[in-house]
Amino acid sequence: MLNKFFEPRSVAIIGATPKPGKVGRVILENFIKRFKGRIYPVNPKYDEILGLKCYNNVKEIPDEVDLAVIAIPAPRVPSVMRDIAEKGIKAVIIISGGFRETGTEEGARLEEEIKKIAVENGIRILGPNCLGIFDNWSGVDTFFLPDEKMKRPPKGPISFISQSGAFASALLDWMAHHKIGLSRSISYGNKVDVDDIDLLEYLGRDDKTGLIIMYLEGLKPGRGRLFIDIARKVSREKPIIIYKAGKTSRGGLAAASHTAALAGNYQLYKAAIKQAGLIEALSFDEIMDLAKTLLTQPLMNGDRVYIVTDAGGVGVMSTDALTMQGFNVPRTPSDLKDKLREMLPPHCIVENPIDLTGDADDDRYIKVLETLLPRSDVDAVIVVALPQIPGLKGKLFDYLVNARKYNKPILVIMIGSEEAEKFKEYLEDNGIPVFESPERAAVALRALYEYSMFKEKEKRSRGSEE
Amino acid sequence: MNPREIIEKALREGRRKLLEHEALHVVKHYGAEIAEADIAYTPEEAGEIAEKIGFPVVLKIVSPDISHKSDVGGVIVGVKTKEEAVEAAKKILENVSKKAPNARISGILVQKMAPKGLEVIIGGLRDNIFGPVVMFGLGGIFVEVLKDVSFRIAPITINDALEMMSEIKSAKLLEGYRGQPPVNKEALAKTIIAVAKLLEENPEIDSIDLNPVIAYPDRALVVDARIILRQYEK
Repeated sequence: MLNKFFEPRSVAIIGATPKPGKVGRVILENFIKRFKGRIYPVNPKYDEILGLKCYNNVKEIPDEVDLAVIAIPAPRVPSVMRDIAEKGIKAVIIISGGFRETGTEEGARLEEEIKKIAVENGIRILGPNCLGIFDNWSGVDTFFLPDEKMKRPPKGPISFISQSGAFASALLDWMAHHKIGLSRSISYGNKVDVDDIDLLEYLGRDDKTGLIIMYLEGLKPGRGRLFIDIARKVSREKPIIIYKAGKTSRGGLAAASHTAALAGNYQLYKAAIKQAGLIEALSFDEIMDLAKTLLTQPLMNGDRVYIVTDAGGVGVMSTDALTMQGFNVPRTPSDLKDKLREMLPPHCIVENPIDLTGDADDDRYIKVLETLLPRSDVDAVIVVALPQIPGLKGKLFDYLVNARKYNKPILVIMIGSEEAEKFKEYLEDNGIPVFESPERAAVALRALYEYSMFKEKEKRSRGSEE
Repeated sequence: MNPREIIEKALREGRRKLLEHEALHVVKHYGAEIAEADIAYTPEEAGEIAEKIGFPVVLKIVSPDISHKSDVGGVIVGVKTKEEAVEAAKKILENVSKKAPNARISGILVQKMAPKGLEVIIGGLRDNIFGPVVMFGLGGIFVEVLKDVSFRIAPITINDALEMMSEIKSAKLLEGYRGQPPVNKEALAKTIIAVAKLLEENPEIDSIDLNPVIAYPDRALVVDARIILRQYEK
């Protein structure tokens, strides 16, 4: 249903202008640069903008228009909406601010008016007061920040729904800088119409989206239960990472009961997140740590994690971090111990965390991992590979990339400088996530574990329904 | 009376809060087990109700104007015979007429005394965004000081309810502690589900506190129920 927003064949840009730095100019330039369909600038002051014929009014465009983008002052938006209705355009992105978010009566009135026109004419609105859509496939790009201020990320599987426009643009810029691939990104502003639920539904069905990140401040009243139902359906297909902003409780409200006094807004969102199978990121770092892990790693069958390290200290740190996240770091079973003793020099420690010590080399790691990974009592492996030791030359990393065939999560912890960066880039380019701290790796693995358990539970409960 | 009749009667009378026996009966109707109770309008009736539900009983004043019943001498516990119940009811009415002479008296609640067990609180409310939600926690300091509670958005399954119990930090106390036997979690889950259903089926209800619910190895008894209705919209 939202197809026309993301993959329109033609777009009208109302408020397009040749004036440098203006929102209407940046958006038009974005479309000229990236959009593959037909572009119709609309502005009664011009006959032509940037080489494109400009129209007085959308009604004059001699073509069917799939999407209208509005970037003009709020008071003029209702009359443009009426033209849009007459023209028969069914999808509108309203970039303009000056509506309900201003807290003024006039703003609220304008918002009601555009809503009414939309409902009466079957028009879907994204916005107002938003950045709109950046779509890496169709080239729809209403993010009115020029390329030199906000770099566009490469194409990839991550889609992003954001209640904050500024955060969306910052994240895209950051992703571009770190070469993380993006599919589609949406900032919906005041969400008079299209909201989180509609977008989740769309991205859930979208085969170009492999993982969804949501930045959410709050849902619209009455939409909570439906949000859980839809999010849960989508979560069965692909992971959704959510960052819920505004965690402080609704203190100050007089509560009529114990329950009401304890039911902080965030407490309820936490319950909803859990029921929907969403994966909560508690910080900005976590958003990306979780994303790269969930995108690349297979699901877990259980909670037994083995650590292979060249540094005793980081092995212990990792054990602590994993245990605090609820993982089982089992003692090495005796049959495995015997095997490891046979292949390792006597000074190595075969107890989990398995410490290959500072004189380890690529081959020692590979031998041990080749023994561990196929075992059915190993659910995930953390490889601590501090690259400062001379024996680590890079063969281990080729092996790890190849070891994806065992279909078990492998996370690497690496702390260091250029050498570490080089290995990290190689590994991450090939689907092995690398972390600078055991704590961050443990949190990411925990998210993968919880998502695995959710999928398992859903499978079971759906199985029993049938 | 069934729950609909109880709620409608309260709204007709302009009350935002159900009386104790009404709230207990509503909860019972939805499948929760309660410490049996009924309201008496005369001391003699108190004696008859006491005999019917079995001893020992507790007698409590029921009044929309009195929230701290003990402070006005409105509670007498450990009543063991019919005669004692009649006397206790008289005594309560006398105490209240002295200490709260202007309070409206609805009657006297006669309730079976629940044996000692693990006290938990089960609640529910109607949220603007999520609609009916339910809460679970352990009674006393666990809820009041540590705010150790868990929530779910209704409707919920028995597994959701069981998960709510395992989610609180003090969950181990449900498994038995210092020689206490483990409590019956299924019975608690049934009570949580009753609260969820109650909220879903009765849009007039704004919030519910079952506090305490006493959990035992074989069952869970709702001892006190508080049901608040939404502000009556004209």
